[in-house]
Amino acid sequence: MEAGRASEMTEVTFDLNGAATTVTVAPHESLRAVLRRLGMFSVRYGSDSGETGAAAVLFDGRLVSADVVGAAQAGGHAITTLEALNVSPELHPIQAAFVAVGAFQSGYSAGAMILGTMALLKADPDPSEAEIRDMLSGILDRETAYTKPVEAVKRAAAVLRGDKPDPFGPLVLPPMTDGLNPAVVDADDPAVPASSSVPRLVPSRDVPDMAVVGKPEVKVDSVRLAKGNPAFTDDIEPRGMLYAKVLRSPHAHARIVGIDDSKALALPGVRAVRHHRNTPRVKYASGGQSWPNPHPHDQVSFDDKVRHVGDRVAAVAADTIEIAEEAIRLIDVTYEVLPAVFDERDAMKPGAPVVHDEDDTHHIADRDRNLVHHITARRGDLEGAFAIAPHVFEQTFRVHQVQQCPIEPHISMAWLDSDERMVVRTATQVPFHTRRMLAPLIGMDIKDVRVIKPRIGGGFGAKQEMLIEDIAAHLAIATRRPVRLELDRAEEFFASRTRHPQTITFRSAVDRDGRLMAQDMYVLGNTGPYGTHGFTVQIVSGLRGLSSYNASAKRFTCDVVYTNIPVPGAYRGYGGPQGEFALEAHMEDIARALDMDVLDFKRRNWVKMGDEQDIAPHLGERAPATEELDDYPKIMSSGIEECVAQGGREIGWHRRHDPAWKQPADRPHIRRGIGFAFCMHGTAIPFLDMGGCSIKLNDDGSFNMLIGATDLGTGADTVIGQIAAEVLGVPLDDIKVYSSDTDVTPFDTGAYASSTTYISGTAALRAAEVVRKRLKERAAMLLEVDEPCTIELRDRRAYAADGRSVSLEEIALDSLHMQEHEQIMGTASHVSPDCPPAFAAQFAEIEVDVETGQVTVTKLVMAVDCGVAINPVTASGQVEGGMIQALGYGHCEEIVLDGAGRMINPSFGPYKIYRADEVPETVVFLVQTMEDSGPFGAKAVAEIPKDGVAPAVRNAILDATGVAINDLPFTPERVWRALRSHA
Amino acid sequence: MVAYHRPTTIEDAIGLLSEPDRVVLAGGTMLNADREPSDLEAVDIQALRLDRIEADDTGRVRLGAMVTLDEISRSESIPARMRHVARAEAPSTLRTLATVGGLVARRQADSVLLAALLAHRGRVALAGGGGADDLELGELLAAEMPAGALITAVTIDPDGAVATAGTGRTPADVPIVAAYGRRVGGAVTVTLTGVAGVPVRADESDPVAGLAPDGDFRGSSEYRLMLAGVLTRRVVADLAREGVG
Repeated sequence: MEAGRASEMTEVTFDLNGAATTVTVAPHESLRAVLRRLGMFSVRYGSDSGETGAAAVLFDGRLVSADVVGAAQAGGHAITTLEALNVSPELHPIQAAFVAVGAFQSGYSAGAMILGTMALLKADPDPSEAEIRDMLSGILDRETAYTKPVEAVKRAAAVLRGDKPDPFGPLVLPPMTDGLNPAVVDADDPAVPASSSVPRLVPSRDVPDMAVVGKPEVKVDSVRLAKGNPAFTDDIEPRGMLYAKVLRSPHAHARIVGIDDSKALALPGVRAVRHHRNTPRVKYASGGQSWPNPHPHDQVSFDDKVRHVGDRVAAVAADTIEIAEEAIRLIDVTYEVLPAVFDERDAMKPGAPVVHDEDDTHHIADRDRNLVHHITARRGDLEGAFAIAPHVFEQTFRVHQVQQCPIEPHISMAWLDSDERMVVRTATQVPFHTRRMLAPLIGMDIKDVRVIKPRIGGGFGAKQEMLIEDIAAHLAIATRRPVRLELDRAEEFFASRTRHPQTITFRSAVDRDGRLMAQDMYVLGNTGPYGTHGFTVQIVSGLRGLSSYNASAKRFTCDVVYTNIPVPGAYRGYGGPQGEFALEAHMEDIARALDMDVLDFKRRNWVKMGDEQDIAPHLGERAPATEELDDYPKIMSSGIEECVAQGGREIGWHRRHDPAWKQPADRPHIRRGIGFAFCMHGTAIPFLDMGGCSIKLNDDGSFNMLIGATDLGTGADTVIGQIAAEVLGVPLDDIKVYSSDTDVTPFDTGAYASSTTYISGTAALRAAEVVRKRLKERAAMLLEVDEPCTIELRDRRAYAADGRSVSLEEIALDSLHMQEHEQIMGTASHVSPDCPPAFAAQFAEIEVDVETGQVTVTKLVMAVDCGVAINPVTASGQVEGGMIQALGYGHCEEIVLDGAGRMINPSFGPYKIYRADEVPETVVFLVQTMEDSGPFGAKAVAEIPKDGVAPAVRNAILDATGVAINDLPFTPERVWRALRSHA
Repeated sequence: MVAYHRPTTIEDAIGLLSEPDRVVLAGGTMLNADREPSDLEAVDIQALRLDRIEADDTGRVRLGAMVTLDEISRSESIPARMRHVARAEAPSTLRTLATVGGLVARRQADSVLLAALLAHRGRVALAGGGGADDLELGELLAAEMPAGALITAVTIDPDGAVATAGTGRTPADVPIVAAYGRRVGGAVTVTLTGVAGVPVRADESDPVAGLAPDGDFRGSSEYRLMLAGVLTRRVVADLAREGVG
């Protein structure tokens, strides 16, 4: 929208995918916007300044970000989008290569990657890896670590040159241990040579071979992602849709004493303005969690007070986004600016400004001190242990605020359907929680709200929130038209959700043999201006911090405080990365202080098979146990020794003792080091996380499977489909997965807490078992077999013991059309009393420039025991991507606020996330164990990669330089100052 | 922006730019990224044929203002190290749009490629604006861009040995401070980024002399000065070695 003058529209003609196309455009319109207007939905929004590359197209054959190309500039040029390749049902070889190696997780930037590959291979049919990575450098991928996209380009090049590469799958390695005891790794035993994109799979003899489970099946959504078909929230355009924009607070803390929307409402094209004076005041907590949401319920849709820069003030719906943007500038707001507090260490000090002084927010522990929660949990005689301990160690760590950075920002569309029910199509991880939480805010019953989750372009916890859906819905009600609200990149940084900063103090008592006697952990958590996930995230920090190692006495104490920073919430790992950073750094330093080998010291103390999860029940989300219990959950599967052995060999752990490697003679300012972190992360929330599944048989013997589980790009739909396919004896392609729509699919708590495979997968398994039972009964009837239990399902057929068989199609036709008509279907749900942890060994290899403080991470290795990986390719993709996200946390990412609470780096670049041409090598080992409580032996894999990288890098810096750094991230100046202080 | 123009001659472009509120639209990576409203009119110079890289009789290389960073990174007329710097200046999807003219006009303090142009005795050809039609790059960076002027080309001396050093948060990060060194015969030139409002030449014997950089969250003033000293020493040492080029 322009400041004063009307825009002069321009007619431009360009070649779009081979056809001359003439459009009328405004001077400020981007090529991305116009291409989407023309139906090229593969061109996607990541930011206005083009750094994400999600909107990249070919412009006269060059890969360019269409965000920063003016549509008028395109006149006379040839524009190619991914849609140009979609001329037949078959995939182009480049698309097929990306699918074959599992290169797409969410697939949000698929078009850019495939077009970039086209351009690269046209210029050079056999590009080097460096050239491939350079091509990908302009396409930010928050999901894959770029490992598999690089492999996909190599594979596509090979195919187009006429080669026939082998099918992509895991490299199976023999175990190095007996599963329980440590291996002695021979320094001369080299790492197994293979592409880093290939997951190394170490099988367990306890796991049987299966037809579909454990196989590298291609994702069930491959075609729609590879072709860039309309699949995401923004890929539909309801007739008459309005565009919304939110007016956000410029102040960190202020009272709104006046608001005048008359000028905005007078602007032609403005259809509604909503703010605290015309919106019901209904209290809620925005975290996407099970009912009842944890207190305090300290938010309303629009308040008369703002509590962080970027907080909501008002929202506008208008005919165009430009009019909406202009309208919010015309809203006249008078603020009474209040003092603000940002650091959790200042929030409880006398005189600190009170963030929540309203009288309708309840269950704040101490409102006047900004203390939201005071949490305690303990076991054993802590004071006694410390009194007699020969060694006591105490350290304090500070972990900072970062953002999830999904390349698809938050986006929601809301409209009233023909029955005047509210429909919200939204990028959410928690559709069912969103429905329940949204209904009271808009004055409707849950039954009159429908939430649809299409494909999502990444979430990582940021979308485990009812964040913007209420705004879109309020405006849809006010206008009775569809309303679209999308956050821009800056809003995504400072007005969505982030990771909680914390100050963590560990105190440990250790006996003369190096065994922990007691651990005492204090967390001061910063939940920003709203409670949302503030309680549960800190609990998980305590769980991770105090569950990994055995000690007879433990205590967790936590204060959660309000401040005026951008709102923290859920972020993949959910408190685990914070707790594990402090714990693994602390344990490393204890080992060094005791002059013990760090692996020996940690091994002596880490939890093993049969050990109790001694403090876990005392840190439950619901009614934590305060008394000692008769039974504590135990570790029933652990592959940690195999993980340590495999990972240690891969990283070359023995080089920690090689002076020539650690101080390269030709680079006198470089020191090298290797760090290790022991990782453990729970699988789902016991007695709470629940998933449902419904499966029905079709005429052709295929199945429709409805699940409420939310695939963020993780491959959840695929993995759950594989579980059902294994039970039903059919290939994965015969399972048509649909998720999720609150009107249609069964309930599911949503995608969080590493629960989907374990919980929703078990629900699918049980629903499939119901169907299988009925299929066997119908087969027995057709085959005239007395005992249905003797029937076996495999290869789309039902077999009698004597070898006779009937196809599932025949069973379907018979049951649907011929005799004793019925719809064969099964429904099941699952909640687990268990929370079996995944284990992992995380290694990092780094270089430190001791003159400048620059840290370069050269290799990351993670060996993970996630039980049975249902799909080793998608599982390894989770680990690769998680490690690089975690590396950003430890190394380079940080939200930086100025003195007034304004974020000064709300764009990619200043906020630095890794790109393809700079990521270190990543190698993933999947160490099988059989977890009997999980579907086909599965445990979690999604979050554990977030836990160990920061401490492993920290410990590697310590190994390289002798300097321990206890604050994140390890930016050059911080490291330089630490080195200087040490010197 | 409220209007779009695409002149086909430099004269037409200068005529358009002589009016207030008209700005040059080159690659678009800056102008089109800005969503703040304005009454500006864009003068798109893509039709002016300023997109060639040519060597002249004196051995200098002329980069048309619309030559993209990607084209610099691929040109055999450009020193290998500078090609690498051009490649590192921006990621693949923006490097194909950003132009050398835009690079000079943006005068970013942390642009290593701009520092490289400075070290290679860059000169800037201008049209319109009523001033000189050829300025030393350093002179242009030290002053305001003449109003109404159009950058048509940048020329450089491509010869000499080159060394670079920089410190960033990650390998591909925009360096907090970078040093670009060039040796021709016995003469060494070092330019620095991240220590002033624009890239500057440094005295290799006392690289921090006269510098008072502003600090930010990536590096304080003190840290930047330290880097200037360390990185200058490294490039000078590299240039002193045989075979650097």
